[in-house]
Amino acid sequence: MEQPVQTETWKARSLEELVRILHQIFAEDKVSVDEVQALMESYESNPEEWLQYAKFDQYRYTRNLVDSGNGKFNLMILCWGEGHGSSIHDHTDSHCFMKILQGNLKETLFEWPGKKGNGEMTKKSERVLRENQCAYINDSIGLHRVENISHTEPAVSLHLYSPPFNTCNTFDQRTGHKHKVTMTFYSQFGERTVCVSTICGGPH
Amino acid sequence: LPAGLSQWFPALEVLDVSGTGLAEMGTELLSLPCLHTLLAKNNRLGGPGSLPKGLGQAPLARSLRVLNLSGNRFSEVPPALLQLRGLRSLSLGGNRLHGIPPDIQELQSLEFLYLGGNFITAIPPELAKLPSLRYLVLCDNKIQSIPPQLAQLHSLRSLSLHNNLLTYLPREILNLVHLEELSLRGNPLVVRFVRDLTYNPPSLQELAGRTVKTRNVPYAPSDLPDSLVRYLSLASNCPNPKCGGVYFDSCVRQIKFVDFCGKYRLPLMHYLCSPECSSPYSSASQSSTSQSESDSEDEASVAAHRMQKVLLG
Repeated sequence: MEQPVQTETWKARSLEELVRILHQIFAEDKVSVDEVQALMESYESNPEEWLQYAKFDQYRYTRNLVDSGNGKFNLMILCWGEGHGSSIHDHTDSHCFMKILQGNLKETLFEWPGKKGNGEMTKKSERVLRENQCAYINDSIGLHRVENISHTEPAVSLHLYSPPFNTCNTFDQRTGHKHKVTMTFYSQFGERTVCVSTICGGPH
Repeated sequence: LPAGLSQWFPALEVLDVSGTGLAEMGTELLSLPCLHTLLAKNNRLGGPGSLPKGLGQAPLARSLRVLNLSGNRFSEVPPALLQLRGLRSLSLGGNRLHGIPPDIQELQSLEFLYLGGNFITAIPPELAKLPSLRYLVLCDNKIQSIPPQLAQLHSLRSLSLHNNLLTYLPREILNLVHLEELSLRGNPLVVRFVRDLTYNPPSLQELAGRTVKTRNVPYAPSDLPDSLVRYLSLASNCPNPKCGGVYFDSCVRQIKFVDFCGKYRLPLMHYLCSPECSSPYSSASQSSTSQSESDSEDEASVAAHRMQKVLLG
């Protein structure tokens, strides 16, 4: 993604419009990270528009596919119950945008572990993202862990990944060892995926 | 709760009074015979009158399935709550609990228990007497150790222990065969092998007791003072399945690291009847045979296969 000569300032007035504009943006050869981030942030979360995708699981966070972006990107909604969190993970050379639709999510950034991977991983920073905020990360920025630290409120987030990917590495915070995992969807386009629903499990 | 609630809505099944500043629930609750879900999070509950008297005798005690009291001010689990025998799901996250009452075992139908974000320092072994418990959340507390009895929670699918004060886990944790999720991050788990250097040698009484038990020396209550008969009845089998010994008060603690697919090492606490006990988990500093080392690896890799998701903690 590079900065084109003119950056549009978009305002998405609904989730449907957001998806439409995303298709438009990604139809081009060059896409601006800032443009996409601003677009995502401009959408004011309206639960009526995304409730059909927000399927929670009791034990862990879920990934629910909303749109497959003509192969250029994946747009999905993640549902985090109280106390649910992800492992530390990378983004397989893709761009990752994360917008909060409901509640709050804590993002902790980590440095890539050294070659030996034999020590505690280094925390770079942490922040709590509020409703409608949109964060961005890619592998050159670092790794992160995302978690819902609330013990009373569930959280919902909207994620855009470009290009789409379904495997990534998870990292053990104490040692830096990494482990490749395959991710799956809990639901797609509002329909519960019947087969295997493990998020970061073994080979499936 | 507004007066007349049960008169106007006698068939009420779900009641959500979250975020209303409620300090007491009141007696209206007692007259709602169909209520199965009560959500009262983010209120000011926690004082003595929070739950109405007579809760155990009300229809609620049998009908209520889901109770959410997260984000309140409870410093202890109110005893009245433990009379809600039909309860399947209980959340007391984000309160001020310092412990869990042993009588929690009264809630025999409990499947979901959320206690994250409190000040809990210890877990009573009675918690393990909940046969239907599938999801147990204890994250963000001050827990220093897990009782080995917790391995009796046969239905447990998910155990959340992150951000506590655990330095090791009991080896029995490997017995949780249905566990799919286990979070351990944010605990000061020991990373180096720790040998218990302060082993107190057994007393003469203990040695005599061990001999009586392991050699099956016959005795009748008339042969010994009552105190010794009682003492002999307290013999525990050495937890090492390959050792036939017993111990009374004196045992060795030993930490063995179990590898999960070579990527993640968990410190598991073992109890042995003596330092010479030939455990499959014997320490590296003793001359352990390669057979016993590979035995331990086999056992561990079977358990590891089951608990792969712990890698992502």
